[in-house]
Amino acid sequence: MMPSAAVGRTIRGSATAIAFALIVLPILIVVITAFSPGDYFEFPPPGLSMRWFIEFFRLAEMRNAFALSLELALAAATLATALGTMGALFLARRRGWIAALLQSLFLAPLVFPTIILGVALLLLYRTVGMPVFSGLLLAHCIVGMPYAFRTVLASAQALDPALEEAGQSLGASPSRTLFFVTLPLVWQGVVSGWLFAFIVSFGELNTALFLTGPGLTTLPIEIFSYLQFQGSQLVIAAASTLQVALIVVMVTAVERIVGMGRIIRAR
Amino acid sequence: MRTAWAWVLLAPPLAMTLLLFVGPLVYLFWVSVHEASSSELYGHALTLRNYVEVVGDSFYLSIIRRTLGVAAAILGFCLLIGYPVAYFVALQPARRRMHVLLLLLFPLMVSNVVRAYGWVAILGRRGVVNTGLRELRLIDAPLDLLYTTEAVVVGLMTILLPYMVISIANTLSALDRSFEEAAQSLGAGPVRTFVHVTLPLSTPGVASGVLLVFLLTLSAYVTITLLGGPRSKLLVSMIYDGVTAFQWPHAAALAFVLLALALALTALILAVLRPRRVQGVGR
Repeated sequence: MMPSAAVGRTIRGSATAIAFALIVLPILIVVITAFSPGDYFEFPPPGLSMRWFIEFFRLAEMRNAFALSLELALAAATLATALGTMGALFLARRRGWIAALLQSLFLAPLVFPTIILGVALLLLYRTVGMPVFSGLLLAHCIVGMPYAFRTVLASAQALDPALEEAGQSLGASPSRTLFFVTLPLVWQGVVSGWLFAFIVSFGELNTALFLTGPGLTTLPIEIFSYLQFQGSQLVIAAASTLQVALIVVMVTAVERIVGMGRIIRAR
Repeated sequence: MRTAWAWVLLAPPLAMTLLLFVGPLVYLFWVSVHEASSSELYGHALTLRNYVEVVGDSFYLSIIRRTLGVAAAILGFCLLIGYPVAYFVALQPARRRMHVLLLLLFPLMVSNVVRAYGWVAILGRRGVVNTGLRELRLIDAPLDLLYTTEAVVVGLMTILLPYMVISIANTLSALDRSFEEAAQSLGAGPVRTFVHVTLPLSTPGVASGVLLVFLLTLSAYVTITLLGGPRSKLLVSMIYDGVTAFQWPHAAALAFVLLALALALTALILAVLRPRRVQGVGR
């Protein structure tokens, strides 16, 4: 083996070890301390207990924030997936500059600085007097839509057009073809798009930062304001661990339903 | 009939995007070119003063410089660590590569506030680093690691690092190995092969990774606030402060300065890396 090849291997190996430690350790430390029985942060924790999880559900603002985040994620993911699927099915077989423009438009919120979107939405909501929950729902929907759009688009473009043509030539109306031919064939894309939109909504910060109201706060924003104004109490570690646990459940669901390959390609 | 049906599919997502994405942004821009008002969201007279106040103020210019400096540091570290990791990932057999990528993808799904909290737990006065150093008797009083610009760079860099790795690894693993084999069989060593063949061919992945990390750095308000505190504010913090102080035209102008910065640097990054050239489209 040539020495420079060995050097290359060492660099790659050590960079990978460092990277994984830097990425995973912060999350791991939070999850471990959530089970601490102590009053304040201590690492490693002096023992194991469920104290802070019980405390989490005892605190009304935490419980409500968790419930609101779940409701929002379910509703926003469903709306975003419905709209994203429509856009994807419309664009799947279209070419030309209008189709390209529409595709960029539907994908734009993905790379657009979402903090600016949050400010713009707050301004709009102030002007038209939007209720807090609907405002949050629409914002989470806009942020989640590109994920659903992209996964369904990938599925729909991989589809053999002959299948849809067969449906239509056998006399099925466009709506029958959509519901009985196209959708069953792209359902994996639809499901993974929904799960992506759910995950994005459940962790959303930049738009929710401006749009949550008194008594209506999402879990990530509740964690943020606790950290900012009341210091790092361990109930925050429990809240964070619940956030992580829910993501684990969702990722496992994606894995079971559609397989891992799709998750990675969809990114 | 077919076209009518197509419109039924397109109308709802298009309406949603226009009403809640394009529309609000146009409105925000409209507000940014109006005078401030004490009784309403914005005044009646058109003006460019909100922009002049930002671009002509040495305080805001220093904030912009700090924002760009932090972004550059994060990008540098992300590339330096991310590229070898991506190479490592790309060399793995297909099944294991999938597992490693999934392991990298999972942290991205965890809310950034949780990941920033992890860094607070590590760098805080009672954090892992300070207690560790005290137990080793290397320090007497806890070090102030948190609420520094360095904490923002380290925290945000690790939060965004998976994007860089995944972007580059996807390009590298799709790369035709025969290019490298050709270079090696023509007598190029591993270093020459890497610098002249592998690295240039991976620019599309590098470009998309750099863009993602850069754009996400600009709007990472929560991470910047939790790790940087009040002394390490960046442009995005100024926008937030403007909104909470109800200075709408001012905050709107700051938002568009941020957006202009994002667009200008995106153009610059694409011009320097020229990812399309590698794909055989244009020069």
